[in-house]
Amino acid sequence: MNNNFVKGSWQEILDWAQNKSINMLHYCTGCGAIELPPTMTSRYDMSRFGIGPAATPRQADLLLVTGYLSTKTLRRLIYTYEQMQAPKFVVGFGSCTINGGMYWDSYNTIKQLDKYLPVEMYIAGCMPRPEAILDGLLKLKKMINNGEADGYKRYQDNLEFYHQNQEAVLGEVQRTQ
Amino acid sequence: MRNEKELLQLINAHFNPEAMEIQREQNLSVKLKKEELIQALSFLKSHSYRHLSTISCVDWLEEEEFELVYHLFSYDDLVNISLKTRIAREPGVFQTAKEIWPVAEFYERDIHEFFGVEFKGNDNLEEMILENWQHLPPMRKDFDTREFVNDQYEWRDYNGQKHTD
Repeated sequence: MNNNFVKGSWQEILDWAQNKSINMLHYCTGCGAIELPPTMTSRYDMSRFGIGPAATPRQADLLLVTGYLSTKTLRRLIYTYEQMQAPKFVVGFGSCTINGGMYWDSYNTIKQLDKYLPVEMYIAGCMPRPEAILDGLLKLKKMINNGEADGYKRYQDNLEFYHQNQEAVLGEVQRTQ
Repeated sequence: MRNEKELLQLINAHFNPEAMEIQREQNLSVKLKKEELIQALSFLKSHSYRHLSTISCVDWLEEEEFELVYHLFSYDDLVNISLKTRIAREPGVFQTAKEIWPVAEFYERDIHEFFGVEFKGNDNLEEMILENWQHLPPMRKDFDTREFVNDQYEWRDYNGQKHTD
C-alpha cells in the first residue's frame, strides 16, 4: 500500500475524531467570559456539539481568548498555551482580540492577538452572543475536520516570529519549549 | 455620634485647614498643608476614623503639583472624610502613612507605580500591577498614551489600508 495514502487517511481519521470531541480550557481573560456560562449550560448547551470545559491546560485543546488582553495576562496566556498539548487551537473572541476594540488606545492591552499566538479564527462582536460563539465553534469543527486548523504547526514553524513579537511587548519570557 | 458641623469644628480646633466643606450629607472634604497631614490622620484615627478606604492621587500638571486624597470613614459617625493635600510634582516625595494603617503600604505602592510619587518610610514600593515598566508612570498627565501605543503596538490593516489617527 502507498505509504502517503496510509498517512493521509490516518490523519483524516484523527482530524475527524478530533472535531467530535473538543475540550475547552476554562481560562477567562476579559469580560467575554460572561457569555460562556449560558453557552455551556442548558440554555445553549454546547456539549451537544461535543465541546466541553476542561480544568487544566494539559487536558485542553481549545483556548478561547475571551476579551481584552493586558500585557500581564498575555504572559500568562503564553505560558498556558505552551503547556497545552498539540493539536491545540486558539480562538480569538470579541473585538478586543481583533484590533484592540474599545481598548484601542490603552497603553497596556495588545491590539492583535495573532501577532503573539497562532489564531485559528476570530468571533467578532462586543460581546458575541452565545449563538455567535456556537456558530464560530461549529466552523472551527469544520476546519479541524478538513485539516485547516493548523495553528500549532504554524507556531512551531514561525517560532521566531512569535517569540520576537511576544518579547517586544513583554520583555523577557520564560520558555517551556 | 458627631454630625458634619461638629466635625469641622473639631478639625478646625486642632489644625489649620486651607479649605473645608460639607460636600453632601455624610461627606466632608478637608484641605490641609502637607506638614499637618500625617498628624491629622492619626488624630482622626484616634477619633473613631479607623477605616482608611483608599488613597488616591490627582496630577495637576499646570500647577506642578500632585494632590493626595486620603479617604477615611468612621463606623461611629458614619461620615466619610476626604483629607486632601498637595505636594510638589518634582521631586514628588511624601511621608508614608503605613505606621498608622498598615494597608496604606499597598495604596502607596499603587500611587508610586502609576504616578511616580515616593513615600518616605515605605520600603516596599516595587511594581505591583505593571510588569517590566520602563517608561514614565502611565497615569501622569505628561505620559502621552497615544504616542506610546503607536510606538509599542501595530495597528491592524484593513484591505491594505493603513490605520491613521
